[in-house]
Amino acid sequence: MIIEVNNLVKRYGDLTAVDHLSLAVNDGEVFGLLGPNGSGKTTTINCILSLLEYDQGEIEIFGQPMTPESYNIKRDIGIVMQNVAVYNELTVYENIDYFCGLYIPNNKLRKKLVLEAIDFVGLDEYSKFYPKKLSGGLLRRLNIACGIAHKPKLIILDEPTVAVDPQSRNKILEGILELNRQGATIIYTSHYMEEVEHICSRIMILDKGKAIATGTNGELKAMINMGEKITVQSNYMSAEQLAKISQLPNIVSAEHNSPLLVIKSSRGTNNLETVLDFIKKERIQHSKIYSELPTLNDVFLELTGKELRD
Amino acid sequence: MFAHIFIYRLKCLLRDKETIFWTLLFPLLLAVFFNIAFANLNKGEIFKAIDIAIVDDVNYQSNQYFKTALNEASQGDDRLFNLTVASKEKADQLLINNSISGYIVVENPINLVVNRSGLNPNIIKSFIDNYMQTVSSVNSILLADPAKQQELLSSLGNRQQYIKEISGTAAEPNNILNYFYTLIAMACFYGGFLGMREITDIQADISPLAARINVAPVHKLKTIISSMSASLLIHLTEMLLLLIFLRFVLQVDFGSKIGFVILTTVIGSIAGVTFGALISALVKKSEGIKVAILIGVTMFGSFLAGMMYQNMKYIVAQKIPVLSYLNPVNLLTDAFYCLYYYDTFSRYALNMGILSIFIVIFCVGTYSIIRRRKYASL
Ligand SMILES: Nc1ncnc2c1ncn2[C@@H]1O[C@H](COP(=O)(O)OP(=O)(O)O)[C@@H](O)[C@H]1O
Ligand SMILES: [Mg+2]
Repeated sequence: MIIEVNNLVKRYGDLTAVDHLSLAVNDGEVFGLLGPNGSGKTTTINCILSLLEYDQGEIEIFGQPMTPESYNIKRDIGIVMQNVAVYNELTVYENIDYFCGLYIPNNKLRKKLVLEAIDFVGLDEYSKFYPKKLSGGLLRRLNIACGIAHKPKLIILDEPTVAVDPQSRNKILEGILELNRQGATIIYTSHYMEEVEHICSRIMILDKGKAIATGTNGELKAMINMGEKITVQSNYMSAEQLAKISQLPNIVSAEHNSPLLVIKSSRGTNNLETVLDFIKKERIQHSKIYSELPTLNDVFLELTGKELRD
Repeated sequence: MFAHIFIYRLKCLLRDKETIFWTLLFPLLLAVFFNIAFANLNKGEIFKAIDIAIVDDVNYQSNQYFKTALNEASQGDDRLFNLTVASKEKADQLLINNSISGYIVVENPINLVVNRSGLNPNIIKSFIDNYMQTVSSVNSILLADPAKQQELLSSLGNRQQYIKEISGTAAEPNNILNYFYTLIAMACFYGGFLGMREITDIQADISPLAARINVAPVHKLKTIISSMSASLLIHLTEMLLLLIFLRFVLQVDFGSKIGFVILTTVIGSIAGVTFGALISALVKKSEGIKVAILIGVTMFGSFLAGMMYQNMKYIVAQKIPVLSYLNPVNLLTDAFYCLYYYDTFSRYALNMGILSIFIVIFCVGTYSIIRRRKYASL
């Protein structure tokens, strides 16, 4: 077990930012913490890192209790904070070298690691640049390089892609997967469900400081009642036909806002086939038909009654 | 690890334009400004005749020599004294009201009554001493050449002579020196900008950068000592540059105890840097507010020490003496002053002693706040 958090509670006055949260991260995982802004992701991370005092709970990393003085644990952790934290007076190279040097005293080894980190985040051309001269996306990449240059066993990234252009974002996400392939265990927090879905092997959904569901992507989607969502492009159909569709087996609802007919099914097999058969039989004119599996947003919606992104 | 943090810290701070401005450029600019503003201050205009009284009694009236000498010294545009001839009671009254710096009673020997020490009483005293010394020679000369009598006695009133003499072995009185001393003291305390940055960069509840430092496997005390050393080195260098600039470019005279002037500056610099650290640790507000507090406190301290108005220092010393000792800027200013004017070290040592206590308070206070390694809130 890489991280074990037991019954963590953190209050800010009346507000319970983390509410009896327990989690376990296994070796080699990409563990996602997914939740809207303010759901307690950063607070949880800061408690795990022993930066924040907490009201209750136990935290173990690499099987040992985590305290501010646990230097042996800290040596093997890399952190990418939600806020970019670099020195404006130091160049890209110097920033990475400075932070790496807090972990790696050996100069020769450090130089190699720093160059690797620069290469890894694709900042080779910018190594002499000062942070002020970097775009938002490049700055985020520098922020990441500073956290991971020392090749830690455990890497914690807190919303590393906020305000990042799509190109940098893809580069970052691919990079994280690469780090994981190289053997690092990853904790990744985000409020972007697509990202979490894309890279995380296991996901915990947070809301108001509580863990509301944990599992793989598939497991989470299996928790809810909703099955696929079928969309049919059709300009016309009668009210009668629409009503009949809603009554097909496993179909939960059908709405027609010309030209789109949206049909939601509950979980089950052959739902698409049933709908297709009906459309053929009734000779409903249509162009495209497609079916989507539920998203994590649907999971969040069903579990909390609200959209993940609001 | 020490070297790694220390060297990067040097790079960071030396490239931090705002900090370098406040800790180096601003004091230099102010020194140039002082130099221009005070260019004429030392050229004599400043010397005001000293208000004194003479007790009008039989002894005085019968001592023709002294009467002549005193009258000579109290005449003309560049006279030494504004003389009031008064009864003993009246003279006492004038002294209590601070209307005069002292009064003279003609006894044997001639007696000076003052209520505090300072430049003026020294000049009066020196005048009397000079007179006494001269009297014996006068007597012999008189016998030989009565015509010299007047000349000799009037020479006693020559101002230049006294201004030189009262300082004795010490340096010449210099009206602008105190302004430069407050300037150095202020520059020492502007070292607080460096100390402030040190704390900001290490307190995770203040900056995200510090959070990153706090999760690294380095003991906080080690980090702070390494980076504080860099701050101190930079500030000491800056202060040395300021002293060199004052001494060799603006030709400010620091007297003969240069070694002590440098020692005082070093201790002042430590006090300043640790003072800034304490403010940063203590005040849980934005960077802007901290800077405002640092500048505000330092400037107010400098004002009380006489940076904008020289006499402020004496007013404080007279009205609220304890404040002179609680104002670290004044302690520093006064320490420089003592080095220049006094041959003894007791007052200097007192100043430095109290300043050292301040340094201990700044350090202990700061450490007790930043020692906490977990934060209630980030
Ligand atoms: N220093 C703080 N003081 C008071 N409340 C805070 C503080 N930091 C965070 N919070 C509150 O705690 C909750 C969780 O915040 P956070 O952990 O930052 O959420 P997330 O990272 O998921 O966006 C939010 O309601 C936030 O307003
Ligand atoms: Mg957050």
